[in-house]
Amino acid sequence: MKLVISSTGKDMDDSIDPRFGRCSYYIAYDTEKDTFEAVENKSRNATGGAGIQASQAAADLGADAVITTNIGPNAFRVLETAGIKVYSGVTGTVRQAVEGFKNGSLGTTEKPNVGEKFGMGGSN
Amino acid sequence: MIISVASGKGGTGKTSVAVGLARSLGFCQFLDFDVEAPNASFFLKPDIKNEEKVSIKQPYFLKDTGADFSRCAEFCHYNAVAYVKGEVVFFPELCHGCGGCILVGPPGAVREKDVLVGKVLKGKAEPGIDFLVGDLIPGSLRTISVQARLESYINRSEKVILDCPPGTSCSMVTAVKNSDFCILVTEPTPFGLNDLEISVEVLKDLDIPHAVIINRDGIGDSAVQEFCNSNNIKILERIPNDIKIARAYSRGFSIPEVYPEWKERFLAIIDNIEKDVI
Amino acid sequence: MKQITIISGKGGTGKTTLASSFIKLAGDQVAVDCDVDAANLHIMLAPSIRQTSDFIGGEIAVVSQDCIACGRCEELCRFDAIKDSTGDIIIDPLKCEGCGVCLEACPADAIELKSSRQGQYFVSDTDFCPMVHARLDPGAENSGLLVARIRNIAEDIAVNENKKAIIIDGAPGIGCPVIASLNGVDYALIVTEPTLSGISDFKKAHEVTRFFNIEALACINKADINRENCSIISDYCKTNGITMLGEIPYDDMVPRALSSKKFIVDIKDSPAGKKITGFWKVIEERLYS
Repeated sequence: MKLVISSTGKDMDDSIDPRFGRCSYYIAYDTEKDTFEAVENKSRNATGGAGIQASQAAADLGADAVITTNIGPNAFRVLETAGIKVYSGVTGTVRQAVEGFKNGSLGTTEKPNVGEKFGMGGSN
Repeated sequence: MIISVASGKGGTGKTSVAVGLARSLGFCQFLDFDVEAPNASFFLKPDIKNEEKVSIKQPYFLKDTGADFSRCAEFCHYNAVAYVKGEVVFFPELCHGCGGCILVGPPGAVREKDVLVGKVLKGKAEPGIDFLVGDLIPGSLRTISVQARLESYINRSEKVILDCPPGTSCSMVTAVKNSDFCILVTEPTPFGLNDLEISVEVLKDLDIPHAVIINRDGIGDSAVQEFCNSNNIKILERIPNDIKIARAYSRGFSIPEVYPEWKERFLAIIDNIEKDVI
Repeated sequence: MKQITIISGKGGTGKTTLASSFIKLAGDQVAVDCDVDAANLHIMLAPSIRQTSDFIGGEIAVVSQDCIACGRCEELCRFDAIKDSTGDIIIDPLKCEGCGVCLEACPADAIELKSSRQGQYFVSDTDFCPMVHARLDPGAENSGLLVARIRNIAEDIAVNENKKAIIIDGAPGIGCPVIASLNGVDYALIVTEPTLSGISDFKKAHEVTRFFNIEALACINKADINRENCSIISDYCKTNGITMLGEIPYDDMVPRALSSKKFIVDIKDSPAGKKITGFWKVIEERLYS
């Protein structure tokens, strides 16, 4: 299974970045091979819909599940459409999140956990 | 002759001045370009005769065709379209209505429909003011679309007063660039001065002649005056800090309605401007 | 970490006066000035800039010599930005929204999307906390984009430096910069005044907070101008679940304090100062809980 976790750094021991769409890095962790890769989040400063781009990026990475703290409705919608499970409200390090996932202590999220976040539209 | 009334800082008295000018002229065209928060109607109390919807065309995707919409997602500069695992996800609040989806998407599988973003209202205010106002739907980003529709009604053969939105960026520029002359309304405080300096730069870049009216004269300091003097910017008038004016404003009454002598003073402002422009 | 944005709908109601007062009274905070068009917060907070960055805005279409003047771009442009003037295609940078349709449609590959600097943003230190602010170049576009950028940076600082609160001074109106300054915050304080314009714009500002599901608080500034209108506003708040913090009387010490760059909450015997300090206590409880 591929887990994509929003991270403040490139390492498994870095803290989870609380903002899914605008986090610094994504850690894509493969549960079968116990390997990971860190990918820079290029959508950080997106015109709008950073969460949407981030979700698209997570889908492109082959994510089966996303783990983060805060996720807004736009990003959630894309992940839901792609059939990717969302675990939100998670804090701690990336490693702790992976452990939590493995021992089943993370609960999935049915809906976005923050108020209608709106990546502001590319304004003119 | 088109006169715009603007100000970098909000709440300095743009609408008070614009309405004062229009009421004193009696016969003119008045357009409220502050489409996010239009207020002139409270003072001019127009009889609205006509309401025109402002819409943009947004795409909808015929998902049952099983077509591949990935080009739409790749193309969109505003991230309004995502395409994951063969499913398209559309975000109308981010969409500018550019028509790109129709252009690059699978032929016949993307169509468009009108989506309301605001309206333009037209009417008449006493005694002979042609009144127009733009009104944006709260939550919509399309200030510019509503302003663009409003712009199309400017009647160059009349004396025209434009009540502009605050600020110095695109919505202010969109309003002001239609004018022959811009009156900048400010207050004599550090905030007023700071924003006046920025507004002046904008008008210089747009090559629009301008002058200043100081409102709530007396509340702060003389820095605005000094700035105008050192930069050869004419101070057309000073409106005093007067609780009577403030109270009347709160109830929808304009300055000439409280102090009739101001009708002449507003007309003198227009004469002054006409001399400058001609 | 929680965030509050101070907005108004109508300009000039006292956003920056309140925001700067709260920033002064708070602890463990980051300050952000999202009124990038006409930034005023720095006048009160006197920031020393430690980092300046160029803000490259959204793109604008530019046409090159390869243009064959077929007019396809003009036909397709939805924003009225392209004009065929005596056989030359001219793109109006003020109207162009950088959508890329003309570029896509051009048979001669003569159009490019170019970004240009639209302003600058700064990370600064103040006597109270780090501050993120910006300066849009006069007449520039994408003010909403710039607001999103500085919000992002403020959140980075808060995450990295373990700050408990972000206090955001918003812009007037209800357009893109305001929406960007409300994106993802926990609370919005709507500052209004008891005038017809104030009431109307207050309702619009409230609609925006409701649209984005943000808890709204309110206060009425210069309340004694019109007591009747104050009641109208209070009733509206009751009906709509907006927490009314209270009323600030008209106080001529406010502009005078501003002119001497003093905080109104530091002015002894200022009625406005007392009220604002009281409001902060209520907000503090929510922000730091």
